[in-house]
Amino acid sequence: MAKQIVNAPREAVTDGLLDIADQQRLERFLTFEAALMDEHQYDAWMALWEGEDICYWVPCNDDDQDPATGIAIIYDDRRQLEERMMRLKDKTAHAFRPRSRMIRSVNGVVPVRVGDGELEVASSFVLGEIRVGVQNIWLGKCLYRLRDTGEDFRILSKKVMLLNNDEAMPNLTFLV
Amino acid sequence: MTTLIASSRDYGALVKEDRVHSDIYTDAQIFDDEMERIFHRTWLFALHESEIPRHGDFKLLQLGRFPVIATRDADGDIQLLINRCRHRGAQVCEAMRGHAKRFQCWYHGWTYDSKGDLVGVTGAEAYDENFDPKDHGLTLVPRVDSYRGFVFASFNPEVTDLSAYLGATLKYIDIMVDASPIGELEVKPGVVTRTRYRGNWKQVGMDGYHPHYVHMSVFKIFSQRESTTGSAVGALHLEDPFDDRSSSRTRGFPHGHSCLDFREQRRPHADEYIEELERSEDGQRYVADMIDAHGEEHARELIAWHGDPHLGLFPNVQLIHDHVRVVIPRSPGETEVLMYPVFLKGVGDTINEKRLRAHEAFYGPAAAGSPDDAEIFERTQRGLIADQSPWVLLARGRHRERRDEDGSLVACISDEVTQRVQMQEWKRLMSDR
Repeated sequence: MAKQIVNAPREAVTDGLLDIADQQRLERFLTFEAALMDEHQYDAWMALWEGEDICYWVPCNDDDQDPATGIAIIYDDRRQLEERMMRLKDKTAHAFRPRSRMIRSVNGVVPVRVGDGELEVASSFVLGEIRVGVQNIWLGKCLYRLRDTGEDFRILSKKVMLLNNDEAMPNLTFLV
Repeated sequence: MTTLIASSRDYGALVKEDRVHSDIYTDAQIFDDEMERIFHRTWLFALHESEIPRHGDFKLLQLGRFPVIATRDADGDIQLLINRCRHRGAQVCEAMRGHAKRFQCWYHGWTYDSKGDLVGVTGAEAYDENFDPKDHGLTLVPRVDSYRGFVFASFNPEVTDLSAYLGATLKYIDIMVDASPIGELEVKPGVVTRTRYRGNWKQVGMDGYHPHYVHMSVFKIFSQRESTTGSAVGALHLEDPFDDRSSSRTRGFPHGHSCLDFREQRRPHADEYIEELERSEDGQRYVADMIDAHGEEHARELIAWHGDPHLGLFPNVQLIHDHVRVVIPRSPGETEVLMYPVFLKGVGDTINEKRLRAHEAFYGPAAAGSPDDAEIFERTQRGLIADQSPWVLLARGRHRERRDEDGSLVACISDEVTQRVQMQEWKRLMSDR
């Protein structure tokens, strides 16, 4: 799962593709995104996405599965993601009530490709989730496609590769 | 003949015509009896033959308490082998799936082929002439049979024939298979959503009463769409299939099988779905090929039915919408659900991709439907522990069910016929001597 970093250009893991200030700005952005997910700030999180052609993808079984022939845990375009937001907010979506309490740690933020105002960024997270007396630990790698606005970033696509995506898993009723 | 250890429980007293005692969902001893008396005695769904297409392909299964290797042998036959070395008992296969013509036990190196025959004993000279490797092959699951690619197994050599066991449900299985113009399905190896919930396995039933409540959030979203054509949810169109005034029906068959029968409710909507299909080249070809294969009248209804028999085969499999769902009981309060999307053979790629997207939007751990089901099953398990008033009511619609010509009991869509037939079969098997 770490192959995005393993296969990145050497420069991405030596000097890095961003200068220190931009790298820090990027890490703050991903920390902010994680905080919005932890705090169930759905509208604010949704506002981080840009464009109609977005893709929010959590593959199942295999990180590299072809979505044309393989199943996904989440494979949302903008319309589906907006419907997901409606469900996350809906008091009759029982699996989301009560809401999970979460803390996640984002780390290993490595831009693996930078150009034309866009970045491809690999990162990883550890997520503790507690709901109705049961604590689950979720781990995963992310691969983002971001647009740099100069001030902050916008998400064009996000792929989340869960460590347990080929195992029997409980409900995933929050954002990852 | 395997003998059953006598149970101390009176299962007749726990399962009435219109109610069941909550112990059957929570009691560990009853769960042990279920494994022995149901899962190790009746037919279980094993796998779809397309999951192991070539010689050497294998897949691990959990059938009742037993780990089983499904293989495709050199003759092209499917073998179900108990995953236990005949020497000291270690599992000989650990990979969930793959390709191997030999299985070697890494305790002492004994080797078996894809028929289960013992083909290698390390240091064989240490055994005398009375040792015959033929006596020590991997144990075969005694009964294996299939219907249109769906492979079933039983540990009971004297179990009734599969076709008699499935009975009138066979024509519902056809609904799923004949959605392919060449009458063939594909279940892709390793393409499966695996979920688990902290609740009893019998919660996964056929229930036409729950959607308005458990899935209310989904209905709200649908009500904002102009069309739900092609959706994975029961509503292939905006007319509510879960309304008791609709022509949807619930059916209970002998041996505990059950069905939410949407055939009549969907049949009038063939034009809408055909119209949508014909917007694409693959869809046009699909409609034409279906008519060639089945004739116009049957093709139209098959298209309207969307390949969805909505059928539950007791005790461990359901064919719902675009997927095969396998239920694996782990303990009284812990269940795994495996959902395998079904691909149609003989159709354009975009047809299958659309079915896959519709399936995963509703089914899976983060999808629109499954999490709410799992949540309610967990709430039920927490509630059932409180057995001060122990009865669980399954009486809905008893006064309005009737026996259909195919032998099934049929009633309105929200009636609990399905639960009643499941529990009567449960009682029959659990009370067996």
